[in-house]
Amino acid sequence: MSIFEYNGSALVAMVGKNCFAIASDRRLGVQLQTIATDFKRISKIHDKLFIGLSGLATDAQTLYQRLVFRHKLYQLREERDMKPETFASLVSAILYEKRFGPYFTQPVIAGLGDDDKPFICTMDAIGAKELAKDFVVAGTASESLYGACEAMFKPDMEAEELFETISQALLSSVDRDCLSGWGGHVYVVTPTEVKERILKGRMD
Amino acid sequence: MTKSLDVPPKGGFSFDLCRRNDMLEKKGLKAPTYLKTGTTIVGLVFKDGIILGADTRATEGPIVADKNCEKIHYMAPNIYCCGAGTAADTEAVTDMVSSQLQLHRYHTGRESRVVTALTLLKRHLFNYQGHVSAALVLGGVDITGPHLHTIYPHGSTDTLPFATMGSGSLAAMSVFESKYQENLTREQGVKLVVEAICAGIFNDLGSGSNVDVCVITKGNKEYLRNHLTPNPRTFVNPKGFTFSKKTEVLSTKIIPLKEKVEVIEGDAMEE
Amino acid sequence: MECVFGLVGNDFAIVVADTSAVHSILVHKSNEDKIMFLDSHKLIAASGEPGDRVQFTEYIQKNVALYQFRNGIPLTTSAAANFTRGELATALRKNPYSVNILLAGYDKETGPSLYYIDYLATLHKLEKGAFGYGSYFSLSMMDRHYHSGMSVEEAIDLVDKCINEIRSRLVVAPPNFIIKIVDKDGAREYAWRQSVADTPAPSA
Repeated sequence: MSIFEYNGSALVAMVGKNCFAIASDRRLGVQLQTIATDFKRISKIHDKLFIGLSGLATDAQTLYQRLVFRHKLYQLREERDMKPETFASLVSAILYEKRFGPYFTQPVIAGLGDDDKPFICTMDAIGAKELAKDFVVAGTASESLYGACEAMFKPDMEAEELFETISQALLSSVDRDCLSGWGGHVYVVTPTEVKERILKGRMD
Repeated sequence: MTKSLDVPPKGGFSFDLCRRNDMLEKKGLKAPTYLKTGTTIVGLVFKDGIILGADTRATEGPIVADKNCEKIHYMAPNIYCCGAGTAADTEAVTDMVSSQLQLHRYHTGRESRVVTALTLLKRHLFNYQGHVSAALVLGGVDITGPHLHTIYPHGSTDTLPFATMGSGSLAAMSVFESKYQENLTREQGVKLVVEAICAGIFNDLGSGSNVDVCVITKGNKEYLRNHLTPNPRTFVNPKGFTFSKKTEVLSTKIIPLKEKVEVIEGDAMEE
Repeated sequence: MECVFGLVGNDFAIVVADTSAVHSILVHKSNEDKIMFLDSHKLIAASGEPGDRVQFTEYIQKNVALYQFRNGIPLTTSAAANFTRGELATALRKNPYSVNILLAGYDKETGPSLYYIDYLATLHKLEKGAFGYGSYFSLSMMDRHYHSGMSVEEAIDLVDKCINEIRSRLVVAPPNFIIKIVDKDGAREYAWRQSVADTPAPSA
């Protein structure tokens, strides 16, 4: 079993019209044993910037703490929030620093930049950035997520439609993955508000 | 408790997770695979300069991770570099050297030379004995004329009139070997590069999607992103996908965002 | 083999641990207390490598005490859990401790809580959790019979059900268990469940 599959996870982010959505499953497991069904993999960096960390849960937590620390230093020094692009470069640099002893986590970053332009991006465990215009996926359910998103995504969706699309993509994908599931956690971010929803999912 | 504060690092690699990761591997957990650019990258010398070419597929094992990535990296205004191998390594190594070149230009006030980039790259790669797995095709035009080099992950280099790298290098090289000649025109050169990349795209499974081309001539360069798109999506449903039933939501929390307050510079407090 | 589990009830939390000190096929001791008092209102139950377990829990215990001496106020349960995770995570990158921890505590503001920290330093707040071979039985038992807001009697009844299941279904079941409880009046030993008593060696 790969180290990425130890805890199980599913992460996806999608771009809409002046908005974005980021979603994850809620399972925390140790291999095939489920420890909790209310785990949070997506965290807020600032109002319009979110990061999801798939892979090994302990590394996700450690990395998240380091990123929050670095972002707070930046806020103090610059008196402003980080742009999503800048934050992605920071994450990439922190991951690449450990090129030969990596954090076993694959991040998904989503944010609204200047003029509320949505930005999404993912990386591998050593910080190779993959910028996408449509959607990005990560975690043990990534293969099925690629398929679901490839079929369901269309450009320039409004917030509500984006929510339906990302939720259906997530729920149908985790149904084909033993290691993730047990509901979903979806954030839809528009320039004016953040909508956080908990989804009902299969419990098997 | 003597714990040093987790201050931003000064640079260089950090090996502090290696011991734990070894432990996890001994417990039978497999180490991860990284994003690779199982790639076709090429370059050739033509009459007026250099033409570089690349496909745009990034893979992670058998999965296509990115259908349209950029593999021709900027090094200097007159130098570009195609990267194959582990994506993070090619990206990091070219970024690092391009920043060193920029600093060097600030220092000397002269245009960067291709050999400088070559030396910086090979020195880094040799230092890491092949562990930084970047296979590169470096091309540019400087005061001494056009130059094309290939650099292998272990730090060895070649200087060639035409070069290919990556998993599709054999397919691309077969095109070059049969059709390359000296003093090609720009049009002939671009056509040959596109043909070589297409050979990789269609005959090597690790390469795919589109063709990126970069033409560098004395005092000028043209980056032709997605110069050719031979594999457009054919199954797009313009109406998109509709869902018959609404997703079941257990709870919703709405956080309204406040307008950020703009601080106007130079207020009454200032003298 | 090792069985540690715990649950949160109405205004209290309970942790249970087996009391066997085992090495290879040999039982050295059947009254080893694996649940430590962190401070007046915190319990830390640990399983794993015996040396690491004692060393690490004592280290945490003493540092929590040190914090209280220095600052005059005790750590909250959540703070103690995060501190424990931090120490485990830093140790993990140098010389890993193999200990799995259930941390139970009671705070005036937040009431009772239970935290799960595994040897990889994955931290999660739970209502019920378990480690070791016993977890296969106790988790199932608690999934079936647990409900929020349990009374002490109900909880002890559930604990006994779990112990019973472990004793009857686990090949390498430990004979004795210790039950500790923490509520507004503090952390204390609640009961033992012994099927083998230590017979003192006859005097010469």
